[in-house]
Amino acid sequence: MRFIDWLDERFAIRQVFKLSMVDYKVPKNINFLWSFGMLLVFNFAILFISGLFLLMYYKPDANLAFDSVNKTIMMDVSYGWIFRHVHAVGASIIFLLMYIHIARGIYYGSYKKPREGVWLTGYILFILFSATAFTGYLLPWGQMSYWAAQTITTLFEKVPFIGEDLVIWIRGDYAIADATLTRFFALHVVFLPVLIIITIAIHLFAVRVVGSNNEDGKKIDKQKEGIPFWPVFMSKEFFVMSIFLLFFLYLVFFKFDFAMDRVNFEPANPMQTPKHIYPEWYFLAYYEVLRGFFFSQNLGLIAFLLSMILIAFLPWLDKSPIVSGKHRPLFQIAFWVFVIDFLILTILGKLPPSGVYAWIGLFASLIFFGFFISLPIISKIESKQLRKGETDERV
Amino acid sequence: MKEFKILLIIAILVIAGYYGIDIYAHHEMYGNLPKPDFHYLDLKDVNIKGDPVKGKELFQSNCQSCHSLKAEGLNAMMDAETAQNAFNVVPPDLSNLGAMLAPHFLFNFIKNPQNATKNPKFAMPPMAQLTDQHIADIVAYLQSVARKNFTGKDVLTDACTRCHSVKYQKIKAFTDEKHLKNYLGKVPPDLSLKGRSKDREYLETFINNPQSVLPGTSMPRLGLTEEATNKVISYLEEIADPHKQQRNKVGIWALIYAFIGVVLTYAWKKKIWKTVDK
Repeated sequence: MRFIDWLDERFAIRQVFKLSMVDYKVPKNINFLWSFGMLLVFNFAILFISGLFLLMYYKPDANLAFDSVNKTIMMDVSYGWIFRHVHAVGASIIFLLMYIHIARGIYYGSYKKPREGVWLTGYILFILFSATAFTGYLLPWGQMSYWAAQTITTLFEKVPFIGEDLVIWIRGDYAIADATLTRFFALHVVFLPVLIIITIAIHLFAVRVVGSNNEDGKKIDKQKEGIPFWPVFMSKEFFVMSIFLLFFLYLVFFKFDFAMDRVNFEPANPMQTPKHIYPEWYFLAYYEVLRGFFFSQNLGLIAFLLSMILIAFLPWLDKSPIVSGKHRPLFQIAFWVFVIDFLILTILGKLPPSGVYAWIGLFASLIFFGFFISLPIISKIESKQLRKGETDERV
Repeated sequence: MKEFKILLIIAILVIAGYYGIDIYAHHEMYGNLPKPDFHYLDLKDVNIKGDPVKGKELFQSNCQSCHSLKAEGLNAMMDAETAQNAFNVVPPDLSNLGAMLAPHFLFNFIKNPQNATKNPKFAMPPMAQLTDQHIADIVAYLQSVARKNFTGKDVLTDACTRCHSVKYQKIKAFTDEKHLKNYLGKVPPDLSLKGRSKDREYLETFINNPQSVLPGTSMPRLGLTEEATNKVISYLEEIADPHKQQRNKVGIWALIYAFIGVVLTYAWKKKIWKTVDK
């Protein structure tokens, strides 16, 4: 108690804690989907710590990397394998959490005014995590590491005028080589994590400024309806977290194959292309959009870029005055079609792009963009209905 | 109740995605593997009873110039270095191969190695001077001296490591890389992690009949029995994933730990929310 007083006198911790945790109220009508933000912070912490331990034994050198991962860490270091499993599963699962977090944001309209800043910083976080995952995947220097990096970096060749120079600049060599490994390593362990931490801080700050959205998308009077973030909301958050941890540890120990592809246990071999090259599951949908326009590579590439960028513009595409999807029947149809379509694209991304799959791929890619086109239209219809007074007062 | 519904929707989507990516798409990509044939039915059937005593004499006069049989104290007349220079590969010791190879395969192999292994460049020449009865005698002899309770590691040593290295086990191929390149066109892959980079089904079919999975490969068909194949695959899986037992044990404790966490946090949540719900 004394020590707390000592700290309080010097850092005003009680006041800071009260201000940011107790007086920060969240709506009562939020379901467990609102726990995924803190869940993501938790998962990031797991990745940070497991990554730190891996870093103690990993060797960023094309001749040493594979053995340092698969022999030193996986076989020789006591419990080194746990850190590798945790890091690999964590990197995969953080994307599942992000997708659920994003889908929640879309469904309940959490990107709408005044939460555009939250949405954009969240989008930046998604891009940063994607870059971190992509650079990190090269580090074990297995066959899939090598050829996935080779394939994705080749895409930059299509950039007008500077394409070919750009590819060499990114790789540091004419093909993926030691120079690429070391620079990806530097980005993965220093630059990107630092950017992520900064962006998380801004993201959380923005949420505290504008407040959490809720199921009904209603602005609440926090004095009357809100519950304190600490301890009320966090008591539920810890419960959700421990359920997540149970699921996570099950994957780490008993079901890790999905995050550690067998092909990547073959050392990288620039002379031998694997039979099939595919990204990790969380990029498969975008990869399928890239391949979906099978008749034109350039079109595919433009579609691929759009598919990753468009989502940042949701606040300006969907200007409907009704916030939550709960009260928007038309929007609900569009949303669920989009979710199913994303799932289909993800599965197609791993299927051979030939025959009927190629056509389904094209069709699914078009539906993907259809969602973004439908939003302004749905907004217009809803605004009109509102003006006519067809919808009741619940909004 | 509503929260369970949300959880159910997420679970269905995740399971559908998992099934689609890891099972359906994976299967579509790699297709069905042919079933392994441990009877080697494409080879000529033999029904001759061999005599191990005669077989020993025949072995000494026909095989021992290149092959040793250490179990019986028989050394090859040629040392490994000379053999490599002549054949680009060190000939195997034959002590236990009588138990590891299917007898029917072994018979056809001695008669025509290129045909039996499906590798036209296989180093051992056909034994044209031997009659079918002679060959049956040699097979009977090799079977009589072979140890029946061999391990997976024994199979690896007798059947694999004259060409393959297993560097994580500090096993170096008996034949030099230079000669292996001459013989096979490239240095054969290291086997340290094959038990993890390939699944059991693939390894079984590949070892049983390499050409059926990887047409044009220079890996010969070895004629291993089902027992020997399974033992060597289990050994490869063991060395590629040496902490499996430890992982399963620690995993149970980790789950128990997490479950206790679920109970405690649920109790705390209940207590806190009692005041809110009122």
